[in-house]
Amino acid sequence: MRRLLILMLCALLAIVASTADAQTKKSGKRRATARKSAKKAGKKKSTTKKPKLPPLKTSADKQKFLAIIRDSMPVRRAGSNIRYTPLDLDRSLEYRVGRDRSYAPLIDDERFVRRVHLDLVGRPPSGTEVRKFVADTTSSKRPRLIDQLLTTEAYARKWARYWKDVIFFESTANRNRTNPKALEDWLTGQFKKGASWDAIVAELVSAMPVRDKKKKKEKNDWSQKTGQNNFVLAYENKPPLLAAQTARLFMGISIQCAECHDHPFDKWKREQFHELAAFFSRGKYYMPNLDNPAKKTEMKPKFLLGEQPPVKLTTHQRRVAIAAYLVYNQDNYWFARSFVNRIWNELVGDGFYAVDSLGPDQECLHPSVVNRIAAVFRYRKFDPRWVFRLLLNSRAYQRDIQSIDNDEDLFTAVRPIRLNSAQVKSSVLRLTGANRNIGRSVEREFRFDPSIPQRDLEGTVQQALFLMNNPTLQNKLNQSKLKKRLVNVKQPRRLLTQLYLAVLSRQPTDNEYARGQKHLRAVPDRAEAVEDLIWVLVNSTEFLTKR
Amino acid sequence: MIHSHPPTLSSMPLSRRQALGLSAASLLAPLGLHAEQIKKQQRACILVWLAGAPSQMETWDPKPGTGNGGPTKAIKTALPGVSIAEHWPQMAKALGNVAIIRSMVGKEAAHARGTYHLHTGRRLGGPEKHPNFGSVVAAELGDTNSELPNFVSVGQTLSSGFLGVNVAPFIVNRAGQLPANVSTAVASPRVSRRLALLKAQDADLSKAGAASLVEEHRVLYERARRLMTSPKLKSFKLDGEPAARQQAYGKNPFGQGLLVARRLVEAGVPFVEVRRGGWDMHNSLFTRIKPAAAQVDRGVASLLGDLKRRGLLERTLVIVAGEFGRTPKVNSKSPAPGRDHWARSFGLMLAGAGIRGGHVVGKTSANGQEVVDRAVSVEDLFQTICSAMKIDADKELFTPGGRPLKIVDGGKPISEILG
Repeated sequence: MRRLLILMLCALLAIVASTADAQTKKSGKRRATARKSAKKAGKKKSTTKKPKLPPLKTSADKQKFLAIIRDSMPVRRAGSNIRYTPLDLDRSLEYRVGRDRSYAPLIDDERFVRRVHLDLVGRPPSGTEVRKFVADTTSSKRPRLIDQLLTTEAYARKWARYWKDVIFFESTANRNRTNPKALEDWLTGQFKKGASWDAIVAELVSAMPVRDKKKKKEKNDWSQKTGQNNFVLAYENKPPLLAAQTARLFMGISIQCAECHDHPFDKWKREQFHELAAFFSRGKYYMPNLDNPAKKTEMKPKFLLGEQPPVKLTTHQRRVAIAAYLVYNQDNYWFARSFVNRIWNELVGDGFYAVDSLGPDQECLHPSVVNRIAAVFRYRKFDPRWVFRLLLNSRAYQRDIQSIDNDEDLFTAVRPIRLNSAQVKSSVLRLTGANRNIGRSVEREFRFDPSIPQRDLEGTVQQALFLMNNPTLQNKLNQSKLKKRLVNVKQPRRLLTQLYLAVLSRQPTDNEYARGQKHLRAVPDRAEAVEDLIWVLVNSTEFLTKR
Repeated sequence: MIHSHPPTLSSMPLSRRQALGLSAASLLAPLGLHAEQIKKQQRACILVWLAGAPSQMETWDPKPGTGNGGPTKAIKTALPGVSIAEHWPQMAKALGNVAIIRSMVGKEAAHARGTYHLHTGRRLGGPEKHPNFGSVVAAELGDTNSELPNFVSVGQTLSSGFLGVNVAPFIVNRAGQLPANVSTAVASPRVSRRLALLKAQDADLSKAGAASLVEEHRVLYERARRLMTSPKLKSFKLDGEPAARQQAYGKNPFGQGLLVARRLVEAGVPFVEVRRGGWDMHNSLFTRIKPAAAQVDRGVASLLGDLKRRGLLERTLVIVAGEFGRTPKVNSKSPAPGRDHWARSFGLMLAGAGIRGGHVVGKTSANGQEVVDRAVSVEDLFQTICSAMKIDADKELFTPGGRPLKIVDGGKPISEILG
């Protein structure tokens, strides 16, 4: 088996590392050794010139093979001891944005603890968590909190849900043939165990779900229970859809227009799209002729930068090849960068470019900064937690909010960010207690496509109506533990502190104390007054916003 | 290596919001009387969706006495020489106002795909989520400042796809009831008190750097409040409709849904969908068709009559359709035979908004298995609908990715039924 793998490695190395020049002596040596041993192994068996690849039919074989390619990626070894700190990031970003610009101040502990909870674990912190964090006087408490949250199951779940939404939002596949929950569970497991982004994506893209012929009739079994099959299933195992989505989701580039014509704004040619699609085809792949449906052109698989498999591949091998070209390809800087850009976009409200619509002619803002982060991300073996640590510990993340209308102001402050349905749901349910009816309504009403930029998102009238009037929600709030507790607090100041901590995870401001006290005095019925105040905070913009 | 040149974010072709034509400015535009007046002359559409796909041979294209015809008889209609299936006596009388298409040729014979095709004019499976046609109408003809939503659906329907939340269907689960969450148990002075506190609360955040989010939030709450207190809200209910009229539409959720649809159109809503399921009659078709057809026959005929009396039919397009047709050959399923999925020839019905009544488009062969005259594609149908609704079918809508897509891709309007 080992020998066979080395043989295969040789072939795919030719594919992937063909452009890789020996950057360091070390890696050059190692590759030479690998080649030698492959030669030795080859002498005995093969008389043909072309290397023979194993069938790679099972997921395990695919992963094993991809892991070998991964370990031999020279650039990963070359940069394994490069340091890049949050401070480095801030310095280079502020240099690019302009040192003379006015930057928003850094946020205080209360704001930080809410922000980082919403971002890493998908829920606001409890009043106790806020108080504890604020009271902590040690200097490294922010990095420590980040590290601690990154080890939780909730972190893995939050980001698994994000990627599940990203993958499924544009899916029009039959619901019975996909299983988004299985994908979410699988991703949760991956993020929890600290799997690297390259391995995760390679597994998603190289999947080739096979229907269980025995079960297919009665159980509608498309192997969708296997979580990692669901990227391919979400796009119905169709080559053009998979080509468009692979580029969009894992490279951040938009090429789907090129399915029918050369891209209007970019350099993508129609042929390039169909060459990419050919990787996902079961047999030969044909590009349709739009003028004459009877005529069509056979397309050979070729990756976007011109990489081409040197040998004819089977269906399964082609999937592995596209995964390798996408992920273990040092020329494909888009792969690492699109992950960094997406996370950045989620954390500060804007990406360096729109997360899924980049083209070769639409470069990003401050490319030297994001390219640098992406490069180090690759040196760090595509460890997602490294990206989170870098960004969350930076000033760029810890700045105060500001409405941002011009590109020049980007990254001088953080954009106020609309919470997604899961974050709204947890914010509501921690007040009402668990309730399926409320949970489902929130999920339905507050759902949005996570690939749409924050500045283009809009709220709906139904959301407002739900928070204002939904009978179940109002009932549960009026009977909530919070309300019962608050009604018994005599002193208005204490009451208001507890209220704001519970709903908005912060202490009230002087203005808010004054307003609240006035209201408590004006409304004789304490229960009624408290209900009003809870209603106001639940309906406030801040309740739905990461500030 | 492909080279890159750096334009900025704002130099991108279109932001998503711009692409949708739904800028904050349009949300905030003052409500002018002028808009209201224009709206009065404007087109509206009621889509009667027969989910499950009704059989063409038991509706508009019966084949009595042929091998495929089954036991269904034909009846005479208001149009000399035109007969329809016996289950539609009221519609037979109303045919002078109606155009029947007997020669639809579809491409989809599975429910989800057919529903998508006949709701969007596009086939499922491309890279885009196409909008429900109701959302297109809401975007093109709707008033962003109207108190009522611009697309109401009685029952579930397809989403607004890439057109976004502002033109999404506003779903009412039961006809005759107010939509969810529009009424409050709290007395009005207390609501005002809360809203005043909310305003102050949000003003603080606005100053703290979230001005644009706060402003949008305020507009949404204002619109929510306008809907809650709108006199037009009563259009969702049936109070004030004489018992006789309620009876005429049919005292069942479907009939009452049609009556609500008329009331909403009267109040200015440009698109209303009313759904009636249960048409997927693989077995026992010839008994199950009777109650289903009776409800729809009565409801739609009453709707057309009512619209006409009120002068609304001239500007209101009524479409009665399902996702495809059913096999001309009767199957041998138990306990009693029915018909299966069939998209190669089926029928539907259009009326109002300038559609020429008393017209039958197309013809199928004696055994019903082929269209022999005037085949109409789904794209042709959508061209016809756009034409009647005075919507430019060639207009390009932008997807979130900035891809321009025509409202209807290909096809030609059925000119002989357009006034």
